[in-house]
Amino acid sequence: MKRYQEILDALYEVLTPFANEANKQLSEETELVADLDIDSVRLLELLMEIEDHMDISIPLNVLPDINTVRDLAVSLQELSE
Amino acid sequence: MDPETTPTHNTLPFRAADFSNLAEALDYAAQGETGCNFYTGRGEVYAVLSYAKLRREAQALARRFLGLGLERGARVALIADTHPDFLRFFFACQYAGLVPVPLPIPISLGGHGAYVAHLHSMLRSCNAAVGISTAGFLPYLEEAAEGLAMSFVGDPVDFENFPEAQESFAPLQAAELAYIQYTSGSTRFPRGVMITQETVLSNLAGIIRHGLKMGPGDRFVSWLPFYHDMGFVGLVLVPVTSQVSVDYLGTREFAMRPRQWLSLMSKTKATISFGPPFGYELVERCIRAGEASKLDLSTWRIAGVGAEMIRSEPLLRFAKALEPSGFDPKAFLACYGMAECSLAVSFAPLDKGLEVDRIDADHLAKCHEARQVPGGNNEDLSPRTRSFVVCGRPIPGFEVEIRDEQGNALPERHSGTIFLRGPSVMSGYFNETEITSRTLCGDGWLNTGDIGYLLDGQLVITGREKDLIIINGRNIWPQDLEYLAEQQPEVRTGDALAFSAPGPSGEETTVMVVQCRKKDPAVQACLVNRLKQRVRSELGIDCYVELVPLHTLPRTSSGKLSRSKARQNFIEAHVWDAQPAVAGDQ
Repeated sequence: MKRYQEILDALYEVLTPFANEANKQLSEETELVADLDIDSVRLLELLMEIEDHMDISIPLNVLPDINTVRDLAVSLQELSE
Repeated sequence: MDPETTPTHNTLPFRAADFSNLAEALDYAAQGETGCNFYTGRGEVYAVLSYAKLRREAQALARRFLGLGLERGARVALIADTHPDFLRFFFACQYAGLVPVPLPIPISLGGHGAYVAHLHSMLRSCNAAVGISTAGFLPYLEEAAEGLAMSFVGDPVDFENFPEAQESFAPLQAAELAYIQYTSGSTRFPRGVMITQETVLSNLAGIIRHGLKMGPGDRFVSWLPFYHDMGFVGLVLVPVTSQVSVDYLGTREFAMRPRQWLSLMSKTKATISFGPPFGYELVERCIRAGEASKLDLSTWRIAGVGAEMIRSEPLLRFAKALEPSGFDPKAFLACYGMAECSLAVSFAPLDKGLEVDRIDADHLAKCHEARQVPGGNNEDLSPRTRSFVVCGRPIPGFEVEIRDEQGNALPERHSGTIFLRGPSVMSGYFNETEITSRTLCGDGWLNTGDIGYLLDGQLVITGREKDLIIINGRNIWPQDLEYLAEQQPEVRTGDALAFSAPGPSGEETTVMVVQCRKKDPAVQACLVNRLKQRVRSELGIDCYVELVPLHTLPRTSSGKLSRSKARQNFIEAHVWDAQPAVAGDQ
């Protein structure tokens, strides 16, 4: 199982281009949809990047409960267990 | 090592959906060797379900359903994930005399509340007795079922714990419902299309025999969602009722790795696949140089295109990019249909590719007549033109009329509302007599709400249902967008109108015009941003929001707010439409 901080760091790396484009600073409270302008097409790009980056598969059923960067990190940590 | 997939060639004589019900169609297919195969996003087979196995397992589940003591025709809601369980339960309902209702899966971040509310409205609308979901989506279904009197809500594993009843089952018969299909994504106005066995089988026979002219040797690949009419009727029921093998890729897997669609086609040497135009665009955008020559798409004889307005340019780019794979642009098959007609209404002729009708756009707007403009190169003198893809003749059994606003039938090349009548038309919307009577006239004519004209008996669609917004193949209801706006403190009921308009490069874009009481630019900017975010998190789409002064939204002569006028005003006022959407000018 990966440590939370490791996952968070990896996530920041993947999210940086999205944050730069939206001109926002990343934190655990950053909202993916509201702050980073991630619509359903960009969401799939993001998921693919995370999957390839971290070698895990993210099922669709976790998405409705993910709002912030923290939500995503927590759910990735659970998925990597 | 992959499990062995079902073969393309069958041991059984081919039959084109000439059955009296779906259970009988599966009984027949089960005597052969074909079936469905499910692939992961990385192209590995994770499940093989021959029609023989599907029949066996569906019948065992049907006996468990009997033990629940449900009344005949009771509704069974199924979360329609691309998974063998959906097919097992769908056909279990067919055998057990219960009516399956496929329900959608969510695709956006953070939409928990909206998804549950949507499920709840559909469960309530169809008065579902049972709800079944794979474990992943079960918590949402359970939450959606709260407050409803349902006999069972659970996952397939829980359901398998029920004992099999000893009595024999009686499959749904010709005049009984085959399924209920929810057409709109609208949370507040779910509309369940009722399709009987004979209705869907008539449409399936038309598709198999006339639209696709199928025969032994055909094989399907599909990534379309099982809760969508094209994905479900076209790529689940067509294969079963024609005893043809099919390879399934999850919709999410396709959207993340669009090239998997092509790899799978190449690997299985499939002959038929369908997609909305944006599916082809997605692939075209990510295909890399040199990649196409490693694929063999020479067996792909039908690349069906439907479900949204078709522009030919992106499709021709797709064909060009895939030329080295042996993909034939003549494989493109434009079609038109809707859930209210089971699925298919018309298909363009096979092996011809896309045919485009180039017309005078100004004349169409002014006189509702589609006057052809000869393809020339003296563009300075030529009128403003638009090109529409021709969607072919209706399959046998359909009558078509193009009618003006007064209900008079119009001659060829005159544009109006498309009305259809025939054996594939729905019985109505479940529990919605008023909406049904507005859509289905007493004499059996269905008002499609779509706008088009006839060209030598072939249908040309110039606008889908006036109010409906279709983005990336998804139906978005303007009422849902307007409702989101009206929930903001600055906005009151009747202050917002949503519609779709051509974007800068002709693609369909969602627009919402909102009357605003505040004059402060900072307050206005804040409202615009908040609305965009709300739309994105609830519906997963981008929306262009424009604020206008109070009392400026257009109204009809009877004083009702008019979306179509707002749309027209918006299009005329925006520079980006100065270059009209033109398809297919090569």
